[in-house]
Amino acid sequence: MAPLNPYTYIQCPCSDSASLGRPSDPTSPASADGDEEDNTFDPRAPRANFSLYPLEYLLYCEDCHQIRCPRCIAEEIATYFCPSCLFEVPSSNLKSEGNRCTRSCFQCPICIGPLSVTSIEMPPSDPNLLAPDRAATPHTTYSLICSYCNWSSTEIGIQFDKPNSIHAQLAKIRNGGASRLTAKERKERRKELSHRGGEAAAAAASEAAAGQDVDLETQFANLKLFYTSQLADPNAGDTGFSSLGDLGFSSPSSLSRIMNLYTGGKLHDPRAKSKLGAMREAVTADEGLLEADLDESSLIAQLHQSDFLDTASSTQICSQPPNLGEPHLHGAVRFNSSLRPVPYLLRTKRSKRCPACRHIVSKPEAKVLTTRFRIRLVAGSYIPSISIRRLNLPGPNGPAAPAILGDLLEPLKPVHFVLTFKNPIFESLKVTLGAPAKTPGRFPSKVTVLCPQFDIDANTDVWDEALKDNDRESSSRSRRRAGTESQFQVEVGKIWERGRNWVSIIVEIVPASLKLEAGQDALREDEDVLEIPMFVRIEWEVENGGEDAASGPGRDKDQQEKRELAYWCVLGLGRIKQG
Amino acid sequence: MSRRPPRGEYIETDTGNKVARKATLVGTQNIMLGGKTVIQPEVMIRGDLIRSIQSSSSSSSSSSGTPNNTAVAIGRYCFLSRASCLRPPGRLYKGAFTYMPLRMGDHVFVGPSSVIQAASIGSHVYIGAKVVVGEFAIIKDYVRVLDETIIPPNMVIPSFSIVAGQPARVIGEVPEGGHEAFELRELYKTVGNNPQPAAS
Repeated sequence: MAPLNPYTYIQCPCSDSASLGRPSDPTSPASADGDEEDNTFDPRAPRANFSLYPLEYLLYCEDCHQIRCPRCIAEEIATYFCPSCLFEVPSSNLKSEGNRCTRSCFQCPICIGPLSVTSIEMPPSDPNLLAPDRAATPHTTYSLICSYCNWSSTEIGIQFDKPNSIHAQLAKIRNGGASRLTAKERKERRKELSHRGGEAAAAAASEAAAGQDVDLETQFANLKLFYTSQLADPNAGDTGFSSLGDLGFSSPSSLSRIMNLYTGGKLHDPRAKSKLGAMREAVTADEGLLEADLDESSLIAQLHQSDFLDTASSTQICSQPPNLGEPHLHGAVRFNSSLRPVPYLLRTKRSKRCPACRHIVSKPEAKVLTTRFRIRLVAGSYIPSISIRRLNLPGPNGPAAPAILGDLLEPLKPVHFVLTFKNPIFESLKVTLGAPAKTPGRFPSKVTVLCPQFDIDANTDVWDEALKDNDRESSSRSRRRAGTESQFQVEVGKIWERGRNWVSIIVEIVPASLKLEAGQDALREDEDVLEIPMFVRIEWEVENGGEDAASGPGRDKDQQEKRELAYWCVLGLGRIKQG
Repeated sequence: MSRRPPRGEYIETDTGNKVARKATLVGTQNIMLGGKTVIQPEVMIRGDLIRSIQSSSSSSSSSSGTPNNTAVAIGRYCFLSRASCLRPPGRLYKGAFTYMPLRMGDHVFVGPSSVIQAASIGSHVYIGAKVVVGEFAIIKDYVRVLDETIIPPNMVIPSFSIVAGQPARVIGEVPEGGHEAFELRELYKTVGNNPQPAAS
């Protein structure tokens, strides 16, 4: 069994749907949420997993005086950048070029490691080469090499002329070295041809297009062109549906016509065509039709010959972006030779807002290279942090055995844990704890919080406290001396130890026995973990500075305002020994 | 019998660096420690792997002994755990094989048995145990590298990432409340000839 380090998870109030949306009323002393009267929080419920977070993940909204979790917070994207070159991508480029890096940052298709551009030295000129004029000048080509698995782009037959703007060069090459026309180039060619001649040239162009492989990008462009032309001029259809004019496809003209029927005809546009023609589907490759080639015999023959390791795994296939240079495969990519380098997905810097009051809770600097935050309201600076350690009290027979972290807990033997609450704010805090007497679940353990209510002093400066009195320092140091632990008696209603801004209390647990009765299911995963749900309620006073809009006219400026916050948390203490 | 005070396990310099006597530091004149750095026993720092190519602006006299010949530069409050190794990365540059300096920021924790060959590591970085950081990798600030990760050469890890796996992948982001966990001031006090017990 894996040893368990004690942990604390806090439940965000957003999971209690009644409390979200209710405006916070700091003057009323009513309880913050009704969980206290309702069923106790069960950390083993399937839903609980999604609402529990460690303290580092929680943020705090100063206006609502509530904690916010990653689930309920609203995120806005501040900057997009490539995680490899750390260049910022303006959001206007995102719409045109997609959410991947368009410079030279690529990931290996085999192992998802970073690819680097390296030059390949051309061999000395061979008299048998077919390009004698180029043999005079040395021509360095570049390829992408993975530094982790030593994959090279030459394995799929791709080499580059320039070491930069690899993304653009890659769009023009297919696996195996054949070149490919990008969408822009096809458009330009079509325009040139249409400028030069009339019908004859257009016919020749369409034939040429049909002869080539229609790849994904061209097919999409052709289809889009075809459908827009169909929508604009539906009467060009030559099927027999024109008699059923009322049946319209969902084109804008038919929709408006149907709406006019319902609204009584006042909005009837006299210029709209009353009779709707039918639309037809694409018929030729030029219009976007691609016949599925369901004959896979050549692929099967290739599979017979190749090695298992030559085929691509599902993770490799899933990380490939759609390949615009190939026709749509009516199956999937099968071989490693058809995998292409993967451009990096852009990463974001996000600013977070409270969902209720829309105030910004976390805002990083927009520049990619700075790590500072303009606003950063984390829960760790507002609610007390809880740290857990096991306490071994001396038994009646002798001195205490040293406590080993992660030790298994003996069933039915009482153990003690020390919970240390540290106060981060500058006012003194009053903490009330509530824990159910028996933990929920199939094997309930008995829980007793020995001191459910206590005060923690404010987090003042260290020097102020040292100047005030010296006794506090000595008491905090005595906590660390192992010998004096035996002097402290575990008493109900008294705190264990107190320091400048922290308080320790004892929790006594009697772990349950994990013996299974006849007929019960076997022990489920992590069911032997001892978790106690605990309800924490903190109250503190804030000096009202007069900014509060809710203050009445006759309000005294020095009046202390009581604030409170309550939440459920789960303390994971350890594993119980089985058997 | 004269009774010498027992030799401490660490040498404490006046800038607050705590260097273990059993640590192997080669080429110490090329190693810059920022201050309050802890170097545990069995750590190896290769300061002898320095740049062999001198820039044309330097004097034409002997190439050794130029002042700016740092092999390894470490910031403040760093912590190098047992058996870790810091090696400057090397590559072919303009036809000759040369080493580039390894720069580390402040509050960097290097776990036991890790091998670091990065070009630069930022501040507030936690590197786990048995991690291999490949040559010329760049790790930015506030990064957490989990145990037994292998970071391939030339990889760039952006700020606030949590990285794991072989080869390394970004598996998560450091939450806003997790920045304080990277501070190593408390850890610095627990090591040395007079260790203070850990504050809980």
